[in-house]
Amino acid sequence: MEVEVSDSTDWLGTPLASLKSVEEALRCHVCKDFFTTPMLTSCSHTFCSLCIRRCLTADSKCPLCRKTVDLSKLRGNGALREAVEAFRGVRDSILKFARTPTPALPISPKRKATDVDNSDDEFQESKRPRRSTRNRKAREPQASSQLTIEDSEGDLQDDNDGEDEYVPEPTASRSITSALRSPSKRPPAAAAKAPERLPTLQYSMVKDQALRKIMRELGLSTAGNRTMLEARHREWLTLWNANCDSANPKTRGALFQDLQVWERTIGTMAPTSSKAASTGAQIKDKDFDGGAWAAKHDSSFKDLIANARRSRQIAEQKAREAAAEEAAKQEASSSVPQPSVPKTSTPSTAESAPLPQTPVLPVQPPPHPSYSHPERWQHQPQPTHYQQP
Amino acid sequence: MAGFATKRLGKELSKINSNSLPPGIELVSADNFEEWFLDIRVLDNNPLYLNEIYRLKFRFSAQYPIEPPEVTFVKLADRPIPIHPHIYSNGIICLDLLGQQGWSPVQNVESVCMSLQSMLTGNSRNERPAGDEEFVRANRLRPKDIDFYYDDNNV
Repeated sequence: MEVEVSDSTDWLGTPLASLKSVEEALRCHVCKDFFTTPMLTSCSHTFCSLCIRRCLTADSKCPLCRKTVDLSKLRGNGALREAVEAFRGVRDSILKFARTPTPALPISPKRKATDVDNSDDEFQESKRPRRSTRNRKAREPQASSQLTIEDSEGDLQDDNDGEDEYVPEPTASRSITSALRSPSKRPPAAAAKAPERLPTLQYSMVKDQALRKIMRELGLSTAGNRTMLEARHREWLTLWNANCDSANPKTRGALFQDLQVWERTIGTMAPTSSKAASTGAQIKDKDFDGGAWAAKHDSSFKDLIANARRSRQIAEQKAREAAAEEAAKQEASSSVPQPSVPKTSTPSTAESAPLPQTPVLPVQPPPHPSYSHPERWQHQPQPTHYQQP
Repeated sequence: MAGFATKRLGKELSKINSNSLPPGIELVSADNFEEWFLDIRVLDNNPLYLNEIYRLKFRFSAQYPIEPPEVTFVKLADRPIPIHPHIYSNGIICLDLLGQQGWSPVQNVESVCMSLQSMLTGNSRNERPAGDEEFVRANRLRPKDIDFYYDDNNV
């Protein structure tokens, strides 16, 4: 996975600090990275396709102006895409160039003639070696300080650029000129067989079975509960449709890998319903707030413990009785009901089976008492300031 | 394996490290991409907050920045909880931009800090929210699970 650690602030401290704002304009406000497949909203803001699709799936408002935006109204912003590609193509060389320390001595007569206003010249066919934007006064000593940080994946990007070698001026400017040219030569990607966008689902209208079928047909896993299925389907739609917007679509396999990343980082953390099936996942969740859970269900846990103690006593008592009275009469009578524990062992086994010698730990308490007490969820004392709207 | 939250936070951190934060905001620690601490102070002479520094805790979910971070004030020996009609004495902040509705993915750690800074700067009421004691005693929910009711546009 490509991880960029570059940032618009890389330009600060170089003579080209003003490029910071240029670069900022080429970065998405959501991921702060260069636009990948920029898409224009109906309110004329632009974001990466994946970013805006994720945002709108969560909340159909423009992240910048909060106007309601429809997913289907997104349009590609081809000109910006090309601008980003072109800029990214030359960024490294310009940055390297900008960070190259100027030798203090000797000052060549050429440099004295530098004309600061003509920054356009760099982009023109010019045989003269010019360093127009190089303003020696703006050059600061920290030009070569480390401006990149190590990303979580350990990618280090050209940390030492500009420290090692001094690039002679004419060569540097020529290489920039050529770098500026090269990306535009790329022919527009001829869409051989454009993948089709997937329609969004009105999940409330789709039954479980139907959803599973749809997902199987897409090749998606159907693991997890309903909430998880919906979340996974939504993410797949986002990934897939964003890929459809792209000029260079990835393969289906690559998209599945992206989905896998999602599965690991978020999939298991999808907000789960309070059904028994999902409660386990919720508790195993690393985001799970154990303290709050314990506090919230404190009395349920105490009840369970009390029940457990009581039924253990009963069991011990029974065992003693059984030993004393030597078996004969009372298989049925010995089965003392275990009053308050819900769904312990089934009554039939309790009645028919001889008493176990070991004190039975009654029932494993259901791991998550909450679902037998759903009302506890709602009876949290709410501060007065905070009534439900 | 990096989710989008990690990537985005990496960028914010790199920006903070190279570009330093606005005056009155300082990064205390950002050892991982789940929990960061920052210090803020107000810049004017508001007597309520004069000469005090406040510690903020940010917690990020894997859904950041689609989901807002959880932001609370932390009480330490030299870091009190600022007095404010929307800040509970346990550090929980009632601010719409930190809720699902008010949050936007274009916000970031820096912008949240600046909002809180100006929320303090603009306040002249030396009081806690109504029901503060009751809330502090009874609340077991995490901030994101609380149903805040944003009724006050003045402060």
